[in-house]
Order: sequence, then C-alpha cells, then structure tokens
Amino acid sequence: MLKVYAAQLLLAVEVGEEAEASGTDLLLPAQSELIAGIIAFIIVFVVVWKFAVPALNETLEKRQSAIKGEQEAAAAERAEAASLREQYQKDIANAEAKASEIVEAGRKDGMAAKADIIAKAETEASAIKERAQAEAAGERERAEGALRREVASLSLDIAEKVVGSGLDRGASQALVDEFIADLDGAQA
Amino acid sequence: MEQLILAVEVCDTANEIICVPNSVNELFELPFAGFLNRTIILTIFAALLVAAMLFFGLRRRSLVPSKFEIIVESMVTFVRDEISVGIIGKEHGLKYFPYLLSLFLFLLVGNLFSVTPFIMFPVTSRIGLPIFLALVTWVLFVLAGFKEQGFGYLKGLVWPPGVPVGIKPLVGIIELVSVFLVRPFSLAVRLFANLVAGHVMLSLLLASGWVFLSGAGGLGKVPIGFGWFTLGLGIYLFEILVAVLQAYIFTLLSAVYIQTSVHPEH
Repeated sequence: MLKVYAAQLLLAVEVGEEAEASGTDLLLPAQSELIAGIIAFIIVFVVVWKFAVPALNETLEKRQSAIKGEQEAAAAERAEAASLREQYQKDIANAEAKASEIVEAGRKDGMAAKADIIAKAETEASAIKERAQAEAAGERERAEGALRREVASLSLDIAEKVVGSGLDRGASQALVDEFIADLDGAQA
Repeated sequence: MEQLILAVEVCDTANEIICVPNSVNELFELPFAGFLNRTIILTIFAALLVAAMLFFGLRRRSLVPSKFEIIVESMVTFVRDEISVGIIGKEHGLKYFPYLLSLFLFLLVGNLFSVTPFIMFPVTSRIGLPIFLALVTWVLFVLAGFKEQGFGYLKGLVWPPGVPVGIKPLVGIIELVSVFLVRPFSLAVRLFANLVAGHVMLSLLLASGWVFLSGAGGLGKVPIGFGWFTLGLGIYLFEILVAVLQAYIFTLLSAVYIQTSVHPEH
C-alpha cells in the first residue's frame, strides 16, 4: 500500500520536471477534463440552486419563527403571571381589610355589650336601691303609726290614771290623735 | 520500483528510479478506464461529495442542528453573509449567492483533495477547472456590469471618471486590459499555480523522504530521508491552509469583481 502511495507521489513529482519538457500540456486544458469540470460544476450549481439555498432559507425561517413563537409564549406567560400576582395581591389586601373590619366590628360589639351590661347593672342596682328605700320608708311609716297608736293609748292610760275615771275613751283618743298630728305638722 | 512507472509506456525499470513520461497528461491516465482519467473521476467525485454534503447537511431543516449540520450551515451562511452580502451588498448579493456558494464548496473540496489520504491530488491543479470557473466569473461580472450600468460600464472603464484628462486614455487602456484580460487570467492561474506548487512540493518532500528512508540511496542517507519526510509533513499542514485559502480567495475575488461591476467606482 505504502509503496503504491509513494509511487503516486513520485509520479506527481514529474509534473514539475515535465513542465519544462512539455509545459504547454500543463497550461492547456485537456478537453475531456474541461467537459468533466463543466458537468461537475453544473451538478454542484443545480444542487445549490434548487436544493441548498431554499432549504437553508426554509431552515432559518423555521428557526426564526420558532424563536419568535417561544418569545411570544414567554411574554404571554409573563403577562399572565403578572396579572395573577396582581390578583393575588388584591385578594390579600381585601382579606386583610376584611379581617381588620371583622376585628373592628368585634371590638365594637364587645364595647356595646359591655356598655349594655353596665347600664343594665346600673338600672338593676338603682331599682334594688329604690325598692329597698321604699321598703325602708314603708317600714318606718308602719313603725311610726304603731308607735303613735301605742303612745296615744299609753297617754290615755296615764291620763285616766291621773284624772281618775270618767274620761270618754273615744273623745280622748281623738284628742290625742289631733295632738300628735299637730306634732307631726310642727316637725314637718 | 515497478509501481513508479504506472503511467509511463517505456521505462528502464532496472536503472531508473524516476521515469519521465512523454506527456504530462500521461500521469493522470488510468490503465483500465479508457477516456476516464483520474482528474475526470475525481472532479465528478468532488461534485457528488459537495452535493451529498449539502443534502445531508440541510435536508432535515432542523430547529436544533446536529454537529454536521452546524458545520454545513456555517459554511453556507459564511458565503452568504461574509462574501455575497458582505462584498456585493444586500441588494444584489443574494442574486449571486448560489453561484458563489457552488464556487466555494466545489473549490474547497477540489483543493482539499491535495491533502486527502489515498487521493492526494487536487483537481484544481489541472488547468481545465480553474479556466472554466474563471471564465464563468468573467462572464458574470461583465454581464452584471452591462445590466446594471448599461453602456456606462464600458465607458467608465475606457474613460474613467476622476482621472486627469491627460492620462485618461492610458488609464483607460490599463483598466480595459486589467478587467477583461488580467482578471480572468490571474484568477485561473493563481488557483492553478498555488495548487500545483503545493502539490509538487508535497510530493517531492514526501517521495524523496520515502526513497531515502527505504534505503534506496544507501543506509547512510536514511537520516536525510527522515529530515525530508518531517519537512514534508510540515508542508502537509501548510497545504491544508493553502487549499482553504485559495478556495476563499477565488470566491472572494469573484464577489469583488461582480461588486465593482454592480456598483461603479466613483
């Protein structure tokens, strides 16, 4: 293999040396090679013209539109995410407002209940107090009446004993009562 | 040594290491294929290789390209953006893009055959292909000039604006010769000569290295062979660069020539 290879190289060396001997051969195109070159170049050109250039354009366009599509999708997703975030922030703000509203309402309710309870208690206390006072006043009146009657009776007894007998019990009683009533009037 | 005389009809294999053929074209003939010589087979092969590369690189039109597709796509878009649109401009560049792309890829593969193991022969080192492609470029830029500027194209060359009247005829003649004769000629010869020179240098170094290493010149000369061979490998790497660069230069200059026809110089 190597030997053949070297032989080819050596043969090729001849080109340089031969140029002097038959240089025109080297500079004039061999007709068959020229035709082969034309055919070969036409093959390449047709492939480039009919296939490679359209294929390249198509590929680049496809890639461009794919990138554009991805960018647009990403932008849409970003916008959606932003709107979602805004929505969430609004929701959170609403929830916070509602919570503080509830707390405020609770506080107000509590205060009202407290005031209510206090007022009720006060009313009840004053009612109890009034009742007690009324009761006490009644008691006193009753005691005073009894005392008065007792005093009158006692006074009559005493007077009877002093005067002896014969006092009109009924008239004397009226007299005493009148006296006591005068006393009451003088006191008042 | 009998392999050395592959293409040579009469050769004294007992006494000659290197046999000189009667015509240089004999070197490229194949004993079994009739009119099909190495150049023809490899030229068609290069075209098929480019076609296959484009087909497999672009057929999927994939959103996420594979490594191979990235390589093919970046070569194609390089020619489109850097050469076609970059040189000729947005307005006209895309019109010439298919031609420039064909040119670049075909020359790239053809040139790289000079450093492809088991091929080691650039099809562009035969003058036919460079001449044909230079002529296509010539026809294209001349047609572009007349199409875009009408008769003004020729007038702009013969009677160049912005040049003192006294030397206008002289500059006009120089321009005329330069544009219509030198451009296609230099385009073809630059490519051809670069590839021939590289190929000859590579062959010479590797072959003489091999001959000395194999002991043909006596065992004492084996180290010389080692030196040649190493240098040859260095040139091999250099030739890869030359192959790519020459394909690029040919395409670039074609684009520049078209551009000067499309947009007249002020």
